[in-house]
Amino acid sequence: MRAVGGEQEPAAFERTVLRNASPYHYLKVYLQLESATTRLCAVELKQLIVSGLSSLFGEVGAALPFDLLKYDEEALTGILRVHSRGLVKLWSSLTLLGSYQNEACAFRVLQVSPFLLALSGNSRDL
Amino acid sequence: NMENLQQTSRNLLVCDQSSLRHRKCRLSQQVQQHHFNHQVSLLLPECGSAPPPLDAALRSFSSSYLLRKLPLHELLDTHFLQDAVYQGSVYGLSYRSRIDEDTCVALLPSGQLVLSLDKDVYERLGVEGKPSRFNQRANSRYVVTVNLTDSSMAPGGRGYQRLLTGLKSRVQLQTDFLLSHHPGGGEALKALLSRYDWTEHRPQVSSRLLTNLPCPTPLTSDLPSCDPHSFLEWLGAVEAEVSCDNESTSFLSTLVCPEPRAVLSRALRVRVSGLLLPQDVYRLIEELRRCWDGRGTASWAALTVQGFADSPVSWGSREHGFLKGGENFYSLLLCSDHSYWLCMGTGAHDGCPP
Repeated sequence: MRAVGGEQEPAAFERTVLRNASPYHYLKVYLQLESATTRLCAVELKQLIVSGLSSLFGEVGAALPFDLLKYDEEALTGILRVHSRGLVKLWSSLTLLGSYQNEACAFRVLQVSPFLLALSGNSRDL
Repeated sequence: NMENLQQTSRNLLVCDQSSLRHRKCRLSQQVQQHHFNHQVSLLLPECGSAPPPLDAALRSFSSSYLLRKLPLHELLDTHFLQDAVYQGSVYGLSYRSRIDEDTCVALLPSGQLVLSLDKDVYERLGVEGKPSRFNQRANSRYVVTVNLTDSSMAPGGRGYQRLLTGLKSRVQLQTDFLLSHHPGGGEALKALLSRYDWTEHRPQVSSRLLTNLPCPTPLTSDLPSCDPHSFLEWLGAVEAEVSCDNESTSFLSTLVCPEPRAVLSRALRVRVSGLLLPQDVYRLIEELRRCWDGRGTASWAALTVQGFADSPVSWGSREHGFLKGGENFYSLLLCSDHSYWLCMGTGAHDGCPP
């Protein structure tokens, strides 16, 4: 739908509808560890997730590309980005990941969205 | 089956590109229909502090009131109906109840009362509703919508009595409830507040100065140069304070700002949170527009408004659910020549934005 611009109508009106077009999904995760003193740096956290992928899906799984967009070492929370078609694989391997260096651990998925914007606020925390 | 593993739940992004001066511009209605907002964030480029009128608009969002353990039949109280519901617009939303497991309630400015109930509560309530659009197979959730301004819902009427008895004696629902009124404020809610434990919630305002911010360019009327999802990802990165300063070969993150890009020496981000009324959001947009009028400078601003994930409605009275994230938000990129780009996003359990 496009209206021809004139003096009264300085611009066109155009609507685009994108269904399931988000290339990525984003996850806000929290790593729960048995010991309160254990700390991981960003690289170690990413390696831990890669190891989870490889133990569940093998070599192919370990090659699943994902990004650690942000990581708070103190709070052990981070934001992950993954291609939408890889979401289920990443999420399931996070769920099944149970130990870090012989210490019990669990990933809590706090928020998931096809929009990174949705992760900048959570009405459940208000 | 590996095919199934690659599927994700539905999401929808609707983008309008137009101008505030266009006769088909529906921005005002679109903003007004998004009733329950919990966060508004404004990004102003090349700006160290907001111009005073804009700053005032950001700091004058209406307060809301949190009532503890409000029995829902109180929403049918004749004084409350007369002082709040029949006069102006009332906004009410159950607080910290989750739409995927609890009872959620919303009172809309139109006078509609929406109850999202599980099957058990619905059957005990004894008021006609509809199965939720989003779990029809299980039929485990029902939505009851009544309009309190209808003649049948006038105090003493049949519909009124039925709902009142249901809420008072059959299910005795009570919930923490956030309430706000436009334009009456707390005064219009006085009768109800006097009987329950309540606290005033003033919207929280926080601002942050961002420096050396990579930004897709140009952000002008033909805008933006990148596709909507890339633009929103960039805006999301700014909002969540995620760095775009990566290489495509980086180990941790390969997120980069879309090309072509420029670097903003500084930008101001102001965020307001609380139960935020659409009237206040639209006033902010008008103020932005006024700030640019008379000044020839080409500029833009990005405004993102996030809806409550657990509201039983998103836009208008469209049913809303949670599934994985409950997202319902819109981002408005507004340019100084009055052209704009509005992107409305929803997750799986939502109707199409207006």
